Amino acid sequence: MSATLSKPPLAAERGDASSPKLAEAKLSEALAQLRSLLGEAQQLAEVVQQKVMGSRKTPAAAVRADAARIEELERMLEASQRDQQELSDQLVDAENLAGKLMSLYVATYQLHVSLDPVEVQNAIAEIAKDLLGASSFALLIKDDVEGGCEVALSQGVRDGSRFAGQHYMGGDATVDATLADGILRLEQQGESEALAAVPLRVEEATVGAIVILRLLDHKATPLSEDRDILDLLAAHAASALFAARVYSKTDRKLRTLQSLVNLIRGA
Amino acid sequence: MPLKKKILVVEDSKLVHKMYELMLRPHEIVHCYDGHEALQNLGDHPDTELILLDLNMPRMSGLEFLGHIKADPVFSLIPVVIVSTEGKEEDTQRGLEAGAAAYITKPFQREDIVEVITRLTKTA
Repeated sequence: MSATLSKPPLAAERGDASSPKLAEAKLSEALAQLRSLLGEAQQLAEVVQQKVMGSRKTPAAAVRADAARIEELERMLEASQRDQQELSDQLVDAENLAGKLMSLYVATYQLHVSLDPVEVQNAIAEIAKDLLGASSFALLIKDDVEGGCEVALSQGVRDGSRFAGQHYMGGDATVDATLADGILRLEQQGESEALAAVPLRVEEATVGAIVILRLLDHKATPLSEDRDILDLLAAHAASALFAARVYSKTDRKLRTLQSLVNLIRGA
Repeated sequence: MPLKKKILVVEDSKLVHKMYELMLRPHEIVHCYDGHEALQNLGDHPDTELILLDLNMPRMSGLEFLGHIKADPVFSLIPVVIVSTEGKEEDTQRGLEAGAAAYITKPFQREDIVEVITRLTKTA
């Protein structure tokens, strides 16, 4: 759109300058022309303003949009921090679980890696000492011939204890109860010396017990937190020990028979 | 610095050896069952970066072994971590005064061992 504004004629140019009415009329016409042009300019300015507003928000609207975006980002950050904490907790739990499973695996492995009764007993002792933190303990195996139990292994047992000799003839209520019913007991009761009595089971029969008498002073966690290892001992220690003893006995008999055969052949 | 370290384990318990074997993957473990055997093996493994040492062992105790190591100019810089059931304050003090870089009591958690190994082999 273009507009040209013609200049009003100068007095010298006007031939009829002496006529005031004519001059007034021309002035009115020029004013009307000016008003029309001003109106057009205003319309043009409005169009331009509308176009500019359409493409750009006002500063207040932009601030509101930014605040909303910041709030949304803060919410996302909080959610992400919660997720991170949850994952971190899960990682700690998983590592603890992995540690426990590792202990159980190693204990099982060591119990069954050998058919030598002495090696199996050493494995039981190492589990009691290095995994459970026991400073004093005894391994009892029921003696069907003499009654009571054979003390197959003991460490750190004080003199005068019922478990100090080669044989345990009963008398400790907690241990006797475990030998009778095959139930794991984890609390010291009454006059009992035992902190824990772990039954040794072969199939359904209770064939002995591991008696924990004292823990290392610096052991931080109670025995109840080692329940998995105690259960594993109850399930595996006896079968490993009995298998080793049977193998050892059979092997001895076989060697004796072999010697006899060799002797007869030689004769 | 390579991630895989060579670690000498001096320990008489087979169960603890097995634990280390699983816990310390992928590090290379050299197994010794007493101080005497460890001294003999160390000559074959001069690139050992850390020693995990029990105290109560047959033939040569952990402290005796530590004394030999600290007197040897070649091996005295290898960090030694005592891992023992002896947990009294004076036991810890004695071990650290003998030259151990750290003292861990049994029964231990995997993270205790891993943290100490990471710390000591980083500065080694």
